[in-house]
Amino acid sequence: MTNTLLEVDELTATYGQIEVLHGIKFHVQPNEIVVILGANGAGKTTTLRAISGMVGTTGSIAFNGDSIIDLEPDYIVRKGIAHVPQGRGTFPELTVEENLRVGAFIRSDNEIKADLDSCYETYPVLYERRMQSAGSLSGGEQQMLAVSRALMSKPELLLLDEPSLGLAPQIVEGLFERFKKMNQELGTTMLIVEQNAQIALAMADRGYVLESGEIAVEGEANLLVNDDAIRKAYLGG
Amino acid sequence: MDLFLQRLFDALTNGSTYALIAVAMVLIFKATTLINFAQGEQAMLGAFIVLQLWKWGIPMWGAVVIGMIFSGILAACLERTFIRKFDPADHLPLVIITLGLFLVINAVAAIIWRFDPLSFPQLFPSGKAVTIGNARLSWYSIFAFGSCLLVLFILQTLLTKTKIGLAFRAVSSNLESSRLCGIKIGQTLQFGWALAAAAGTLGASIYAANPVLQIEPTIMLRALIFSITAAALGGLDSLWGALLGGLTIGFVQSVVVQYIPFIPNEMTLAAAVVVLLIVLTFRPSGFLGTKTVEMV
Amino acid sequence: MAPKITLTKDTPQYRNLRALMWISIVLFFLLVAFAYVDVGSIAIGSNKYNLSLIRLNKAIAYSVAILGLQVVVGYTGQIALGQSFFFGMGAYISAWLVADHSWPFLLTLLIVIPGCFLIGMILGLPALRIRGLYLALLTLGLAALFPTIVKLDSLYEYTGGAGGKLTTNKVTGSQYKFAPPSWLPLDEIAQALQNIPLVGGYFGDGPLSNREESRMWKFILFSLVAALCFWLISNLIKSKPGRAMRAVRDNETSAAVSGVNLAMTKTISFGIASALGGIGGMIYVAEVGIASPDDFSSLVAIYLIVGLVVGGVGTLSGAVIGGLVYALIPDWASSTQSISFVPQRWLQGPTGSLILGLLLIILTLFMPGGISTAAKKVKNRFVTIQMQNKSGIV
Repeated sequence: MTNTLLEVDELTATYGQIEVLHGIKFHVQPNEIVVILGANGAGKTTTLRAISGMVGTTGSIAFNGDSIIDLEPDYIVRKGIAHVPQGRGTFPELTVEENLRVGAFIRSDNEIKADLDSCYETYPVLYERRMQSAGSLSGGEQQMLAVSRALMSKPELLLLDEPSLGLAPQIVEGLFERFKKMNQELGTTMLIVEQNAQIALAMADRGYVLESGEIAVEGEANLLVNDDAIRKAYLGG
Repeated sequence: MDLFLQRLFDALTNGSTYALIAVAMVLIFKATTLINFAQGEQAMLGAFIVLQLWKWGIPMWGAVVIGMIFSGILAACLERTFIRKFDPADHLPLVIITLGLFLVINAVAAIIWRFDPLSFPQLFPSGKAVTIGNARLSWYSIFAFGSCLLVLFILQTLLTKTKIGLAFRAVSSNLESSRLCGIKIGQTLQFGWALAAAAGTLGASIYAANPVLQIEPTIMLRALIFSITAAALGGLDSLWGALLGGLTIGFVQSVVVQYIPFIPNEMTLAAAVVVLLIVLTFRPSGFLGTKTVEMV
Repeated sequence: MAPKITLTKDTPQYRNLRALMWISIVLFFLLVAFAYVDVGSIAIGSNKYNLSLIRLNKAIAYSVAILGLQVVVGYTGQIALGQSFFFGMGAYISAWLVADHSWPFLLTLLIVIPGCFLIGMILGLPALRIRGLYLALLTLGLAALFPTIVKLDSLYEYTGGAGGKLTTNKVTGSQYKFAPPSWLPLDEIAQALQNIPLVGGYFGDGPLSNREESRMWKFILFSLVAALCFWLISNLIKSKPGRAMRAVRDNETSAAVSGVNLAMTKTISFGIASALGGIGGMIYVAEVGIASPDDFSSLVAIYLIVGLVVGGVGTLSGAVIGGLVYALIPDWASSTQSISFVPQRWLQGPTGSLILGLLLIILTLFMPGGISTAAKKVKNRFVTIQMQNKSGIV
């Protein structure tokens, strides 16, 4: 267990009087791509928000062995976790390049420019639109921007909340292909929350299925794809 | 034509003051969607501090700068102590706190400096610079307006070219994502309040430096309504809108004074409130504000 | 745990207790009235603090105005801060009717109430589109306009311009007489109280003079008017429209979905609040004798809000407390000429508004429910009273 990047145990979250997560347990190893599947309202977004410190929870969350459960979001980012929220979370009034620079906010080194350039290489369309306001970008472009922005903080763990939401299938394919590449080339560990089980399981290493705040199924991604229950529920038979 | 020109020139003077206070209000609104009812009084206090420093022998402009810094620090403390504790979405407690600050700051200034009018240092050279026919434009007006433009340029640069400026704009744009990027919201807000207070102090100082005026604790009371209307007119989240709004209100003032045969002082106030009513009801985003300025 | 008392409504025991409570309140009231009908003052240190029926009458006026704020801000959740506008309207209308048309003061309510209600509804129309602090802004702006309107040259004959409108009757040249009815044994009560051993001295010396009788009668009348208002509002809150108002306050979308007519509820709530403001204004001008523009500035609107918050937003007793705070604190602050360790210099100037501002800030930070909620909490430490219906349902 000393190698585990992220260790979550007995995680319970409440919104007001309603308990949304009922003591869930999961983990992420370095360099993995782990996927959390589930229907709307299952608690997927809450799980990510718990990790990035946006919502208060009880239980334990350990990152590289250190507990991060009671830390503020700006501290957690500095520990190496970057969260791309649901709906992209771009800064619409800021330009594309400014969005990226905000992503690098916690850094003060000299390589920011170089990282900007490599981001533009990966997504040439961002380079074209770098002086445009982020709000004028299409959904897919905003998703690219959001992910790039998260990567600008050079995280060890990248949290992605429903990256496929609202995007056309080809765009989603391209997006996830690049995620896989990023993981292979940069070694970025990813924890992805998705409703689109098919594409998510295709590129992930392991997966969990969250149902009504509890983990119903877990296992290797390729095994989950073949699991009957999952097929029926999420992959359309 | 001469008369019209004179109106225009008169508008510059007051309009610049309103614009500076309006800029202060816009800064705070951008960062927090809060309207700070105490802004005018903070500015007045700042101007009094400038006056006191000058009386103690510090050269005029040095006093202004120190006064601005001091009021910035004070504002940062106010934000930390009183404003931070409240949920930004719940307007009522925040409105009440700024009203409370309004009363307290006004009272403190009146207790310290009393109500007797005092002479404020003349920050700008006196006399008329330009005379076109019968219309006279004083140096004071030119410099007041110039200072306004200067402040706006500095703010613009600060906000677009520095890291903290970027943080400020990020926070105004998307609070949650700002947190996720590691921006320390509290510090950024304090920065906004400090900037706003400094701009306000400069505005009040310029206003008081008008050769025909003297400073006393009630000078900013009327200016508050005009500045708020100016900010709303310009679009509560646009800095340049604040300048435009300020000049417009200044202009409306000098026009109303001449062409409507009621008690001039009172009617300019009425005009401002009417403008406010129209803006808030029909076009909340003002001249240059973004459409997302929320009413609900 | 504090001892718990369960009271069942509609039982004789309950009714007796309630009767006892009301009787003691009225008695206390009368005692205060008789004690302070003359100029009464409390001395602390070397400072003399005035407490007289004049102040208390003002407190009643403010309380009714703040009651109006409770309706619109406390119960309907609309941040409408321009109560000084209607306070002033009530005052001026009453003054004009009494001075120029020889109306008795109480009769002026027939015009004040519907007039203020109507104007309140009209001025409340923007509230249907604007919310939160924008509404606060707009209503404060409108309040700031009141002195301007009243000083307009064209209205001079009604309002007396900047000098204000006296309530002295134009025809007779004398003030309106508040004379108690002859069957009211005020003198006898005063004598009786004066004869109480030990504390008799508090109730003055000798029979009541005409002026004192008139003051006493005003106090009684105003208290009755105020009590009626409070009673009506307390019924309003429990009724269906009252529940609609609270639904709007808590969550407009839910309220709309449950069938509450938002526009109607808000508009009526504005109307009621304004009417109450007007009633307060009438009481004020009946006491003070003149309606002058600067008595109804936006500063007054802010002070009324101080009263609202300090008393406790959304409570009835809060309005009473708030009225007392507004009537007494600024006056007592300026009466404080010396405190031992404070240099005198710091006691001059607008200390009243300093204290009110501080109260506003401190209470919002630490006691958001105001004094009345804090008092309830203290009471609950000693005894909890639980009400239940006959069938045992709470």
